Order: sequence, then structure tokens, then C-alpha cells
Amino acid sequence: MKALFRSMLYSGLVFILVTSALAAKVGDPAPDFTATDSNGKPHHLADYKGKYVVLEWHNQGCPYTRKHYESGNMQRLQKEWTAKGVVWFTVISSAPGTQGYVTASEENDYAKRMNAVPTAVLLDPDGTVGHLYAAKTTPHMYIIDPSGKLVYNGAIDDHPTADPSDIPNSKNYVSVALQQALSGKAITDAATRPYGCSVKYKD
Amino acid sequence: MQTVQARHAKVELVAQQNDVVPGQPLWLAVHYSLEKDWHIYWINPGDSGQPPVLRWQLPQGFSAGEIRWPRPEKLRRSTLADYGYKDDAVLLVPIRVPAHLKQGTNVNLQLQAKWLICADVCIPDHADLHLDLPVSSASARPQNQSALVEQARHRLPRLWPYKWKASATSDKDDFLLTITTGKPIQAAEFFPLEPEQIENAAPQPLETSAQGARVHLKKSDQLLKPIPVLKGLLVLSDGTSYQVAAPVTQAHAKAHNN
Repeated sequence: MKALFRSMLYSGLVFILVTSALAAKVGDPAPDFTATDSNGKPHHLADYKGKYVVLEWHNQGCPYTRKHYESGNMQRLQKEWTAKGVVWFTVISSAPGTQGYVTASEENDYAKRMNAVPTAVLLDPDGTVGHLYAAKTTPHMYIIDPSGKLVYNGAIDDHPTADPSDIPNSKNYVSVALQQALSGKAITDAATRPYGCSVKYKD
Repeated sequence: MQTVQARHAKVELVAQQNDVVPGQPLWLAVHYSLEKDWHIYWINPGDSGQPPVLRWQLPQGFSAGEIRWPRPEKLRRSTLADYGYKDDAVLLVPIRVPAHLKQGTNVNLQLQAKWLICADVCIPDHADLHLDLPVSSASARPQNQSALVEQARHRLPRLWPYKWKASATSDKDDFLLTITTGKPIQAAEFFPLEPEQIENAAPQPLETSAQGARVHLKKSDQLLKPIPVLKGLLVLSDGTSYQVAAPVTQAHAKAHNN
């Protein structure tokens, strides 16, 4: 009886896990959300059906994020892919009082200073969008296809370091995935290990 | 022994003994003493972070083995979990020493260590360390053994005992790891050696059995392909840890065969 109870308890636990830890699994529909950008404009993911959407988790103080911004690497990607019609959302899930948390005007100052050119910067201080996608690191990158399906979840590139001198020798997974997707090919590396600082969620 | 004060940590390079004996392996330890609230990472850092990297520059004929990682802790924040070390971490490295070395000379062992140290924020750091050890004769063994190195070697994760068994079945969302040791296991924690196989922050519900335990591990979102083997450490409630490699079978494939 005790054993039966125990096994019921455990299967219950497993069930809760499976239903509550949601996720953003490649091949599944990308979780829908509405979030407000740094200019106060709301964005509803479902409104971007028909386009590729990139999500980039961001923390301006994190050495791994700085690697890709101070080198200009991230801005180059934003410029290149938004010019090709891709929607690029930078998402900030740092909770107030943690590294990377910014007010809307602080973010706009930063974006201007860094010449960042995403479609919009989504402010997610309560971590709703971050938890919906189980975003782990800054940076952590996702690509959603025009049908609303998640097609990439993982790292920005294959050099998990904070050293900008590694960028020229890196394979940029996001660029490769977008190139493949836009030319109708299968994405070869659709799920990789994201690397960087942990997302500074509210504890 | 050489010590460097780094950011939020003191880093020492320590040798097993204060000389080098031709033909006998020498253990070196990189010892991190970390400030409160700061941590460094295991070989699999978990959801974020990066493990230390050691680059050795050794005299001809010497070679460094791989880092022997001590058992990590699970470091939680919100919905995330990392694997790493707080307070104190000793990374052991075996050095192969050539059989022929000139008596009376010194051997210079150089290390460049790079690591990421994090509290709420993360800082990449590095240090250059070296040791100068005299060559001595094989007859003068053993002496001046470093207690730090000896203790660290004793605490390393153990090899999986040959009488124990481990296997795993894979279903859509979970791995079920079955451990058979001959005795009921009341509590255990699994640390995956490879990133992106299991969800690091998920609880690991355990069912005790007469001969061991069954542990439920939630699969990672990043795991898209079947894996042949689930490797990692199994840490028991007494703190001992074992290196486990559990062959994985697909649950539904098995059901078909029945």
C-alpha cells in the first residue's frame, strides 16, 4: 500500500513536471506571448506569422553578451537579417535589482550608443517570456518560422567563451540556420547548448 | 606551491610532493579558495557558465592528463540550475614524468588557467602559475606528501563497482535510470556529464527498490536525438559519488518487442 501510494505520488510529480515545465522544443509551436518594447509598444508574437522571428536573450552587463556587442557581431547579425525581412526581438528578462535590468529609456540609450538595430527590445522584468521559452543564458537564441513553429533553440555560435577574438573562427548557428531556412533547406544544427551568464530571473 | 590572488578567489598550484621522481607520475592540484557567494563550474556547467580551462607548458617528455573533476554541487537560481563549486575546489591533474631526468636539475611546470567566476554576476579571469621542482632519485620515496592533494584524490568520484548495474529507458519526456546495487537506495542525485541531455533544474523523483532505486530524469528541450548512453555521477546520501554510464533503451521500442 505504501509502495502503491509512493508510486502514485511519484507519477503525480512527474506529471506536474511535464505539464508545468514548458518549453520551447524545436519542431513544436513556439509559445505565444505579448510583451512591451522599450518604446512602450506591445508586440504579440502571433501577429508576426508569415515571417521568421529571432529571439535574442540579452543582459548588457554579461561578459558573453558584451563579447557579441562590443565586437559589433550582434549588431551585424541584426542588420543583415532584419534587412532580409526577419523580425528580431532582443528580450531582457533581468529582474529589477539584478544585472542587465534596464528601464525603457536606459535601454534606448544603450541601443543607440551600441548601434543595435533589432526590430524591438522587449522588456520582460518579471521573466514571463523567459520562463515560457526556458531561456537559460545571455545570449540564448531562438528562431521561429513563418508558420509559428520553433526551428532553432540554442547558442549564438560554437565558441562558448567570453573572448571576442574567437568570433572570426566561430560558426554562427543563427546565421547558418537562417540561411538554410530561407533557402528551403533543413536546419542542420537545430538545437545546441546555449552558453553565457544565467538569465537573471527574479529568484 | 604558488598562490595568485585573483578576483574573488585565491588560486594555488600545488604538487603532490616537493620534488620530481623520474618515471613516476606526479599529481598537481589547482586549488581555488573562493570568496563567499562566488562559484566556479564543473566540466558540465549546467544551464549557464563555463568550466575552467588549464593550458600546461611542460618540459620535453612531460605530459599532462585530463582534469579529474571533484563532485560538483547543484547551484540553483529561479528555474535554472548550474553545476559547480563554492568555497573550495581542487582540480587534480596527473603529470607523466619521463623515465630519464638529470639529477640535480630543476623542472619548471607552467600553467595558464582560465575560468569563469560568478556570483550574481560573472567575471572571466585567468592566472599564470608555475612550479619549480628539483629532480630527485627514486630511492628517496615517499616524503612531504601534500595533504591537500591526498585528500582531494580520496574524494574523487569513484569508479562504478563492477557488481552494480545501471541502465536507462527513454520515453518521450523522461529517462528512467535504474540502479541496482544490492541494497535499497533512499536518496541519490544524478549529475549529467554531457550538457543538454536532462533538464538540470527539474526534480529527480526517486523510487527506492529492494535492490537499489529508480530515478526519473526529465529530458532537456535541447535533446532532439536518442542517446546510446547516459553518463554522469551518481551521488549517494552519504556524499560518496560514482561514475555511472547507463546504456539507454527506447521505452516504446521495448514495448514492441514484447
